[in-house]
Amino acid sequence: MKFKSAACLALILAFALAGVPLLAHHGTGVAYDTEKTVTLKGTVTEWIWANPHCGILFDVTDDKGNVEHWGAELGNPHALSMSGLSKDILKPGDKITISGHLAKSGAPRIVLREFTTADGRTLPEKGHKGNGALLTDEPGQ
Amino acid sequence: MRNRFIDLLAILAMVLAFSAVTFAQTYGTKGYSPGAWKPEELPKDLSKPKPYNSHDLAGVWSSPTKAGYFERHALNDKWLDIKDKSIPDQMRSQTYPPPMTEWAKAKFEATKPSYGPRSVPPGLGNDDVSTCDPMGYPRDLYEANLRPFEIVQASDRVLIHMQYHDIWRTIWTDGRGLPKDADLAWMGYSVGKWDGDTFVIMSTGYDDRTWLDHFGNPHSDQMVLVERWRHPDADTLTLDMTITDPKAYTAPWVGETVTFVRAKAAIFEELCVPSEEEHFNDKIRDAAVGTAKP
Repeated sequence: MKFKSAACLALILAFALAGVPLLAHHGTGVAYDTEKTVTLKGTVTEWIWANPHCGILFDVTDDKGNVEHWGAELGNPHALSMSGLSKDILKPGDKITISGHLAKSGAPRIVLREFTTADGRTLPEKGHKGNGALLTDEPGQ
Repeated sequence: MRNRFIDLLAILAMVLAFSAVTFAQTYGTKGYSPGAWKPEELPKDLSKPKPYNSHDLAGVWSSPTKAGYFERHALNDKWLDIKDKSIPDQMRSQTYPPPMTEWAKAKFEATKPSYGPRSVPPGLGNDDVSTCDPMGYPRDLYEANLRPFEIVQASDRVLIHMQYHDIWRTIWTDGRGLPKDADLAWMGYSVGKWDGDTFVIMSTGYDDRTWLDHFGNPHSDQMVLVERWRHPDADTLTLDMTITDPKAYTAPWVGETVTFVRAKAAIFEELCVPSEEEHFNDKIRDAAVGTAKP
């Protein structure tokens, strides 16, 4: 019985610990619709490896040849460097498949979940990031 | 069968729960961030513990848990229920601010934070952190999001170096008192002395443009901050803070005891670079809410 009580307590604690980072990043919950995920294929125009925030600018071309300029918000290079990213991981012209949560404003901006490079590498890698948070649901945040 | 499932669930939950704490304690040992040495390049005996001395605060310290940080403020060590809308706006803990004066209420209402129930997208906000402007103290200490801070003790001062934004704070221990009518400073003026096993820091002279926390709680230029640091064992620091600011609050704001643990990591370079953040804001964050420069 005691073990079951401890189990319940540990379960609550575990989900509390695992859940908080979802809402943690500066303004993410109010700027982006975290209920909606979009996946796009595009070409990198700029890789912003900067302190304290990184970003990916990329162009998406539709079937009719129209180009839309997109951008993705990432976390800080300190954390991202522990998840397989670096200043050389992307360059203009690279093809990527990228997913994230759309800006609530309707602007072509997302907060990153993950992206896959042309050679099939998916980043950020699972694990833990620089601030100790888990990378379970919100990679790169 | 059902019991076995519950047992399995319990074990999984415990592993999850305690692994989060472990992540905090092993912070920085997995990657090669700017300013960090690779582990194999370090001397082998670096982790050798030094003899415990309650008056020796030197070392690298960080918060013991990651969860709840974002939803707490400088004087709070408890996790807040971030979904409970019935809890007062600015703070949801036992130590939420005492009633504000009319002056402070107006200042608070003018803040547009990106944390807590009054959050707005950073591109529409006015939080100093979005532009790499100084955040001041005590916010700097807690804004660290588990990034460690390092305490250095010299013969005439104690230095606190916070990794986040690479901020240095000086606490003079050479016997001087607090300055009178000094120009206001982002990090204020601090003097410290030992009272038994408690290192007591008194600080004044803070520039009132900074917030006390990322929820926008204000302070005035009359704020007096008293910190009581203790070092009860080799791997623990505790901090009690009291803010007395009659221009902003109708009673002293007495915080909870906050605990820090010895971090098994070095300080990395983690600057907030204004030109880089301006570019990021322009291309990403401001663009996300339509306020980017044309």
